[in-house]
Amino acid sequence: MSFLIAQSLVNGVILGTLYLMMAIGFTLVFGVMRIVNFAHGEFYMMGAFAALIGVTWLGLPYALTLALTVAFAILLGALVERVVFRPFRSDELSGMIASLGLAMILQNGALLLFGPDPQAFPSMVSGVFRIGEMIIPKSRSLALGVGVVILVGFYVFLMHTRFGRGLRALVQDQEVAALYGVRPEIVYPLGLGLGIALAAAAGGLMAPLFGVSPFIGATPLLKAFIVVILGGLGSIPGAALAAMLLGLIESFTSSFVSASAADIVTFALVVGVLLVRPSGILGRGES
Amino acid sequence: MSTVSTMPATGRVSVGGAVFAIALVVLALVPWFTGSTFHFHIAIMVCLAAMASAGLATIAWVGQLSLAHGAFVGIGAYASVLLVTRLGVPFLIALPASAIVAGAVAYLIGKPLLRLCGVYFVLITFALNELFRLVMLEFPSVSGGSSGIAGIPKISLFGIVLEHQPEVYVFTLVMLAFVMALLWTIRNGPLGRRFAAVEENLVLAEASGIPTARTQNAAFVIGSAIAGFTGAIMAHYIGFISPESFAFQLSVSYVIILVTGGRLSLAGPLIGAIFLVPLPEFLRSAQQYQHIIYGVVLILVLRFLPGGLAALPRKLLGSERSGG
Amino acid sequence: MKHRAILGAAALLTLLAGTALAQEKTLKIGALVTQSGAGASWGNGMKRAAELAAADANEDGGLDVDGTKYKVEVIAYDDGYKANEAVTAANRLVFEDKVKYIIGTVGSAPILAIQPITEKAGVITMTLGFTSQALSPDKSYTFRPNPTTGEVAQPQIDWLVKNKDIKTVGALFPNDETGEAIAKDIGAAYKNAGAEMTATEFFERNRVDFIPLLTRIVAQGVDAIELDGNSPVTAGQIVQQARDIGFDGVIIRTGGPATQEIVNVAGEDATEGMYVHSAYDPNVETAAAYERRYVDTYGDAMNGFSPFFYDGTKMLLKAIQESGTVDDTKAVKTALENIHDYKGVLGTLNWTGKDTYGIAHQLDSPFYIAKVEGGKEVIVARCTTAGCE
Repeated sequence: MSFLIAQSLVNGVILGTLYLMMAIGFTLVFGVMRIVNFAHGEFYMMGAFAALIGVTWLGLPYALTLALTVAFAILLGALVERVVFRPFRSDELSGMIASLGLAMILQNGALLLFGPDPQAFPSMVSGVFRIGEMIIPKSRSLALGVGVVILVGFYVFLMHTRFGRGLRALVQDQEVAALYGVRPEIVYPLGLGLGIALAAAAGGLMAPLFGVSPFIGATPLLKAFIVVILGGLGSIPGAALAAMLLGLIESFTSSFVSASAADIVTFALVVGVLLVRPSGILGRGES
Repeated sequence: MSTVSTMPATGRVSVGGAVFAIALVVLALVPWFTGSTFHFHIAIMVCLAAMASAGLATIAWVGQLSLAHGAFVGIGAYASVLLVTRLGVPFLIALPASAIVAGAVAYLIGKPLLRLCGVYFVLITFALNELFRLVMLEFPSVSGGSSGIAGIPKISLFGIVLEHQPEVYVFTLVMLAFVMALLWTIRNGPLGRRFAAVEENLVLAEASGIPTARTQNAAFVIGSAIAGFTGAIMAHYIGFISPESFAFQLSVSYVIILVTGGRLSLAGPLIGAIFLVPLPEFLRSAQQYQHIIYGVVLILVLRFLPGGLAALPRKLLGSERSGG
Repeated sequence: MKHRAILGAAALLTLLAGTALAQEKTLKIGALVTQSGAGASWGNGMKRAAELAAADANEDGGLDVDGTKYKVEVIAYDDGYKANEAVTAANRLVFEDKVKYIIGTVGSAPILAIQPITEKAGVITMTLGFTSQALSPDKSYTFRPNPTTGEVAQPQIDWLVKNKDIKTVGALFPNDETGEAIAKDIGAAYKNAGAEMTATEFFERNRVDFIPLLTRIVAQGVDAIELDGNSPVTAGQIVQQARDIGFDGVIIRTGGPATQEIVNVAGEDATEGMYVHSAYDPNVETAAAYERRYVDTYGDAMNGFSPFFYDGTKMLLKAIQESGTVDDTKAVKTALENIHDYKGVLGTLNWTGKDTYGIAHQLDSPFYIAKVEGGKEVIVARCTTAGCE
């Protein structure tokens, strides 16, 4: 039993980190742009396809492919901000509905381009690490390792660069940020680009684990939703905490109760948190 | 927006209104002109979509957007089907009962729910829609589980079974007219003015003594009851329901209809449904194109026509006037 | 001037099209299948099967029914795997296009939803839907050309339990209508074979992480994991993740031909030594030829269910010829029921299912147990509903 508890703990933390990767871009986009981005999962899907094209079609190394995916996603995000989201800066609800439309366009576009069948993605590593009785798959360790590097890189960027500070200022208070010379016409597109790049990076990173098809965006969107609601819209530490919580809940209820219980518990928790503390566990209050 | 739609009928508007009414009547008669059973079916689907979206519009009139609307359609559908098949209740009683059940559920959860507004309300209703589906899947003895309930008896009124599409269409059309008349009355009554005030400015409405929480809850209950009402008719017409039938996508499709038609006008849901429901038929063999078109239409309408298609004539007339 | 020329040309074209239509009779067959969203892989396989069968008939000038040549035309509509959409598409096919024959639907919910329309209108349907409710004596116009778990599970599981010495089995199923139906069939089959399904898990469809569930199942020390009922992607993920956490027992997929997709997702290493159901023997030349033709025509890998629907459509066309009518579906239905020992691309086909469904509208075809080696199926046993060897 104690083995199962320890293993569930490890499974939960790994899963939580993967969910954090899926959610972090979503929360950033909400924080900066006040947009609930329903197309988030589709950018994850595009990241997975970009990785697939890089690795299997063009034969590029995995690391280079990931870097290219991120660069491509930042540009795409900036474009999407300009074309789709800019008119709705002051209108959260319309921005959100527009993102629903964007999600439909992207998913069905991918369906037209790539067809419905799942694509083969070569596994990067195989086998497991054993620590005592505990087992950690190497494929997950790889995703976990790269994911943590990306997250730390993102954190450093956010905390210690001029641009990152501008972005944070915008998250905190848009008017004050403008007062201090943060230029929205640069920060907005790049903020969305960054959020989308994080989604795409997650897609590329998890393609070897979870497969590639036009329909894979649904899961990360759902997880991002849960993580972000639990953690508080726009709160990055809150998202980190909530992702761990979600990973652990899923791992423990799946291992000790049942899989469907895990989903119901999660959604009940989401509804409960929204009712008791709409701003999430670590979110800012509504202004 | 709301001031425009509740504007007293001036001469020009009433002419426009008359033209619109005549156009609606002519459109409603189209299936009889063509005589095609399939056109009757499409017309039924337009009515059902318009009805459900009108319910969603009622909630939008107090400034909230519900993504749980599909779940309320589902609640009504299951309520009616279970009443008819398990308890042998006649459809004519099950139909209002299903509206009451959906409305009652909305009333119970509405109070805590409506403390949230804007995107927070959207998010919690999104989560509730998922929760509804998951819970229904957990109780197969009630919901038929994922296999659903098939062979649902057709709509029957006083012992007359509506076997054929034209008959169902007449019934659905009458029900739609009833719902629209009800909403028209509400809009032009004191409740409608309170709705508009709350939508316009929540804080101001609160300050001027309007019980905003109760007003919002009233709109949520009425809108959700209409959803349940629609669900009952839909279930007995289609003949099959399962928790999957009322998933997130259904809620999204109503949002698309509403936004495209016009969020704040009474005619919005009608126009949205008339425009969007038959649209897939032009691309029935390849729906992926259709979804892309939906997405593009949605974004374009939001961007260039925030009042929806319902505001198009006024916008055209307005620009014409300023141009000349 | 220019306008008049265009108008004239258009009028001429309409005239030509009109006369062309008048001379050639067409037989319309509906393909009501899923083409968008998950489920589109199967839908494509079915639609293309119908198209290839139609192409065969059209090759020699059309289908000869009682001396008249009919050009076979496939009208494909998408149902998005949704009951409501399927009803709309069925209304259109039956009342607008006046179609008498429908290949479809893919899903169980859509077939149950359209049956009230098709059965009443006497429209013959050929569905993939796994639900046992799809076939019944009061739904006499519905046929199913593909074997379901109900047909293949018992003989296969008997063989595997005996030869692989399996005592306990863990299984994961999606919580949808297919998963539910299959869980019941498979559980009973293992019990009859003398083994036991000791751990059964139902999970939400778009779940991607199975490690917690597998951890629990593996901790119970099961000899085998059963994958039937899962979509190819999910099955692939389960295989990969089960191997990832060090499960080294037998992995079995009792139904649903999807080996290629599973290998795509999980990789060759993880799938090595897996036992799968197969309807396809590459040594049967007709089957291999069909797959080549499919790949050549469409440039995609063939969906495993496609050959069944190719055979099914061919049988339907044969029944139309034998009954000598394209309109009297009652006669066609009877002719279809009376086809015995049909030589299809997959082997010899017969109708069965009287005992299970009360009506013999279920196609019985040979099937195989294959072992996956290097990402490819290698047949280890040949089966009929009576048993495998």
